[in-house]
Amino acid sequence: MNANAPIAITMGEPAGIGPDLCVRLAERRWAARLIGIGDIELLRDRARRLRAGVRIVPYIRGRDAAPGTFEVAHFPLAVPVVPGRLDPGNAKAVLATLDAALTGCLAGEFSAMVTAPVQKSVINDAGMAFSGHTEFLAERTGATVVMMLVGATAAGPLRVALTTTHLPLSAVPAAITEALVTRTVRIVADELSAKFRIAKPRIAVCGLNPHAGEDGYLGREEIEIIAPALAALREQGLAVAGPLPADTVFVPAKASEFDCVIAMYHDQGLPVLKHASFGHGVNVTLGLPIVRTSVDHGTALDLAADGAGARSADPGSLFAAVALAIELKHSRP
Amino acid sequence: MTATIALVAGDPAGVGPELVAKLLGYPSELPAQIRLIAHRASLDAAAKVAGVALELPTLKTDDAARSKLAVARMEWSGWNAAPFEQGKAGAANGAFMLDSLKFALDLAQRGVVDAVCFAPLNKSALRAGGMKQEDELRWFADVLGYRGPCGEFNVLEKLWTSRVTSHIPLKDVAGLLTAEGVAEAIGMLHDALRRAGNATPRIGVCGLNPHNGDDGNFGREEIDIIAPGVELAAKRGYAAAGPYPADTIFVRARDGAFDGIVTMYHDQGQIAMKLMGFEHGVTVQGGLPVAITTPAHGTAYDIAGRGIANVQAMNNALAIAARMGAASH
Repeated sequence: MNANAPIAITMGEPAGIGPDLCVRLAERRWAARLIGIGDIELLRDRARRLRAGVRIVPYIRGRDAAPGTFEVAHFPLAVPVVPGRLDPGNAKAVLATLDAALTGCLAGEFSAMVTAPVQKSVINDAGMAFSGHTEFLAERTGATVVMMLVGATAAGPLRVALTTTHLPLSAVPAAITEALVTRTVRIVADELSAKFRIAKPRIAVCGLNPHAGEDGYLGREEIEIIAPALAALREQGLAVAGPLPADTVFVPAKASEFDCVIAMYHDQGLPVLKHASFGHGVNVTLGLPIVRTSVDHGTALDLAADGAGARSADPGSLFAAVALAIELKHSRP
Repeated sequence: MTATIALVAGDPAGVGPELVAKLLGYPSELPAQIRLIAHRASLDAAAKVAGVALELPTLKTDDAARSKLAVARMEWSGWNAAPFEQGKAGAANGAFMLDSLKFALDLAQRGVVDAVCFAPLNKSALRAGGMKQEDELRWFADVLGYRGPCGEFNVLEKLWTSRVTSHIPLKDVAGLLTAEGVAEAIGMLHDALRRAGNATPRIGVCGLNPHNGDDGNFGREEIDIIAPGVELAAKRGYAAAGPYPADTIFVRARDGAFDGIVTMYHDQGQIAMKLMGFEHGVTVQGGLPVAITTPAHGTAYDIAGRGIANVQAMNNALAIAARMGAASH
């Protein structure tokens, strides 16, 4: 990976807030060269709508950046975009931007990729299976990945990783196996060392049940699955605590004892980030051979629909995702 | 009208007695008439560490109904029980706690008190002392012979939460959700908020699955169970909004969008409430024919007997019991 290579920013769902947030990105100066991946005319339209004084120019591989510009690797859309209105006709073009960013990262052309939000449903409506960026990138690279959210808090960064992600809650308990818990902790520990340069990461793992099962009264997964997995990891020298009751481990005084807290399921971990990060959370995919960060919010079609709404959208999560990508791009996987 | 509250000192091995001593040490600030149910040795010790002098008049059950005393200690069988070891959960303090709570419920059934407020309990001790139910709420319901819907509410400042399922393994949650259960939880929360003085509570309802099920992609309970439950509640006169994704609803509540939130399972509400400072929060045993409140925190065995336990949650619990008790007149 070439740490001096630019960072790719995929613009996400063209009818959503992603392109508007990319304009906001272009208004600022960054400690790295950023390349937008998407339709250059779309971005120019949005810049005009936001009355942003930015110069949007085509990215040409191998050329140096011109100062004061925002470069876009042009991937044309198939259908004209009405902000706020989804059209399956553009789904293929959206996926093409993800492929281009990934390929560029793997080839060393880019040092990291940052993704603006896509609309899963419209990609599915276009007849393509897609359940999220994380899953898409895992499949394309053959990697086993873990989704981690990072938020900035007064006590320092709060990092929360998920053992399971987009599963119906009823399917979560059966999915929690010793192998999955072990693999998740391992990936988190390895990536905190490799990408975040934390020499000996301190990791906490949540229980699955209320009160972490309360000694088996409220469920046995802690005793039968999670605790044995953690005991074996500790024997291998990992600093891992748990299983801990999820409702107390996230309290700042406790969470700050750890470099990462691993939740068993989506809504055990995500609300914590939303609460703590005030809309500035970042989603990081661990386990990939590349650095990938993302916003922690959706396409906000309602805000994207008109200029005033788009201007009012908080770009904090995308800014934080870019800042984290800049921090992580020096890592050696 | 001022309510009369049965104040139960909770686990004699924990911080309960000193919390009660601290409250009663400032009688002018009490929001209700108090009928204390406590244990002599632990209350005396607690008063000493809390630095308060408690000279409480005594009441017999038969005289209590007519009494106008602002604060009185109830005469009951546990008052002179043998001392309990501080910081230890055992069958003895478990049985003592259950007896003290039974006595409080008895006072409520006799009309001597309007509501019950108890200091923290230790669940292991309760189990060792004979509680067979999954939690205190079911125990209260059984003692009261109450078979209707009930549920625990968690209250943090102005935000109340209730849950459709509670102390059960996560794997059982989805199977136990019903539209009726959702509607009941909404209705109970509505009624409780109204009893506590909020005439038109704004209630939000959580989904069950990630991203609210994402239109059925990550689970169908939002479509098949929760949304119909919200409709059912509306038909019964209990308006509520939702279901909403659980990862953002509490952020909206924090910003003032809701007075009450109905969650589907224990950790969905507890994680968020504890992040918002629930150590000062209150648990209300909701739906029962008697208003019963308690601080959200536990017995704090590690600091019991040192006089440093924070009384704020206990104070809040008593205030809510007083409001709910006054509404029952």
